[in-house]
Amino acid sequence: MKVLIANRGEIALRIVTTLREMGIPSVAVHTQAESGAPHVERADESVALPGADGYLDAAALVAAARARKATAIHPGYGFLSQSPAFAEACAKAGLVFIGPSPEAMRLLGDKRSARGAAEACGVPVIPGASACDSLDDARRAAAQVGYPILIKAAGGGGGKGMRRVDAEGDLAAAFAAAGREAAAAFADARLLVEKCIAPARHVEVQILGDGKDAVALGERECSLQRRYQKVVEEAPSPGIGETTRQALLSDAARLARHAGYKSAGTVEFLVGPDGTHFFLEVNTRLQVEHPVTEWLTGLDIVAAQVLLAQGGALPAPPAPRGHAIETRLYAEDPHHGYLPSSGPIVALEWPQHPGLRIDAGIRAGSEVRPDFDPLLAKMIAWGADREQARRRLIEGLRDLTLLGVVTNQAFLIQVLESDDFRAARTFTTTLETTRWPEPPVPPEAAAAARRALASPAGTGEGDAGPADRYSPWARV
Amino acid sequence: MSARLRVVRTARGVWVGWPGGAKFFGAERRDAAGGSAGSAEVRAPMTGRVVQVAVTPGATVRADDLLVILQAMKMEYRLTAPHPGTVERVLCAEGQMVDLGSTLVSLAPAPDAA
Repeated sequence: MKVLIANRGEIALRIVTTLREMGIPSVAVHTQAESGAPHVERADESVALPGADGYLDAAALVAAARARKATAIHPGYGFLSQSPAFAEACAKAGLVFIGPSPEAMRLLGDKRSARGAAEACGVPVIPGASACDSLDDARRAAAQVGYPILIKAAGGGGGKGMRRVDAEGDLAAAFAAAGREAAAAFADARLLVEKCIAPARHVEVQILGDGKDAVALGERECSLQRRYQKVVEEAPSPGIGETTRQALLSDAARLARHAGYKSAGTVEFLVGPDGTHFFLEVNTRLQVEHPVTEWLTGLDIVAAQVLLAQGGALPAPPAPRGHAIETRLYAEDPHHGYLPSSGPIVALEWPQHPGLRIDAGIRAGSEVRPDFDPLLAKMIAWGADREQARRRLIEGLRDLTLLGVVTNQAFLIQVLESDDFRAARTFTTTLETTRWPEPPVPPEAAAAARRALASPAGTGEGDAGPADRYSPWARV
Repeated sequence: MSARLRVVRTARGVWVGWPGGAKFFGAERRDAAGGSAGSAEVRAPMTGRVVQVAVTPGATVRADDLLVILQAMKMEYRLTAPHPGTVERVLCAEGQMVDLGSTLVSLAPAPDAA
């Protein structure tokens, strides 16, 4: 086997690491602008992608794989990872797509048909209606389940084409807007209506399937989100009891078996205030937060994907051990509308602590580009219990130095230290409804900035030069 | 009080990092865009691509009218008029990459806007 990784950043690096460990040669791909990126240097070979579409250009990716005699493609997450057409293009070119079959992706990737599949195998779905093709359909469905409701795009994700409606008077406008947005973003205006479950926890289950059988590796709590993007993830979920946990695990595995699911995937659920759970959606790919489950189970999920793609047997799910929490380090300013930030990284030092894992796609001198997702790295801490994991993660974030782009470093610490997080009172709305005041700049830091600004600018231009050109640590 | 600080000078200012946080302190810089006295410079709040320019020079706008849509890292940001006025100049075009802080539109206040 030889694997082309159709991705970039931290996940491409993470996949190369496992491939090396397995003795499997890897091929990285990159756009012109990313020729010096860490994932390119780490892989055995690399191919420059033509054109502006880069990581989304299915034909170029397949051609690159064939040119380098790769036998398989790992899509990572995002980009083409959930595209049945890309999986089909790989198969047509004689390449193994490391992921589920196009049929399973179609069934589970579409919100309408996934809802139908869940209902068919007895997995509880959110009260609502799969097919709302007209305003009248939506009005009937809403009246039946009661407001507030959510209008969702059947072919979408990431909050696009989604509208919360609190009263019937707002339905017509929201229905039209959601349809327009869905058509623009996904070229698919189909909508569905579901009751709005609030406050809700987002709890998801990591599954592995071999096309016939499937196992559940455990759940992850991912309630802390902004704009439908997760920020903090942990396992086990501190917000559900053992009965709910067992129900989630068995429901997820049953749905995966029903779909003939092969490879790694995630079944997402909402858990209501009374502990009732509802099927939300399936991510038919490796997930950003998979390290949390890896740490609890000791399983390498990427290695499991590779083995399953080679026809290997399903691993028995190991008993989970301890507690793991992941924070996503984003190049954005959570205290100012989550504005993204780009530029050269002028200083970078990762903490090296016991119980800490860092999956990063950047290094000192890297250019954080505005064309991609703002995820810079993931910091994951493991502890014998939740409190130890939480403290380790806070210490890790404190010892991180990252200068050159604005990040959510201080915000992540703020969240981990909040009373709500400590008490596990976290819901999908918590990040957006809580006020997170910007932490003050320490006076000595402000003084150091004033002194540095007053002195003549040296050669320390932030132009992606070597890190040791910059000032060393100073004591104030 | 003693704390570990990291200070990096760049052409635009200074980055200072302390345990658990960091901040950029911009150097004072001269305004390159010009424009008549009293006009507002609408600047890019982030580096990104201009996906829509909603106004042309001479256009009259009300407060909060859309001027430009910027996109970066999958996020769209709508720049709106800070006050009513007339668009003096448009200094960006659709599809163009713009830097943080660069002036995109200059806006002369409406004569009756005090």
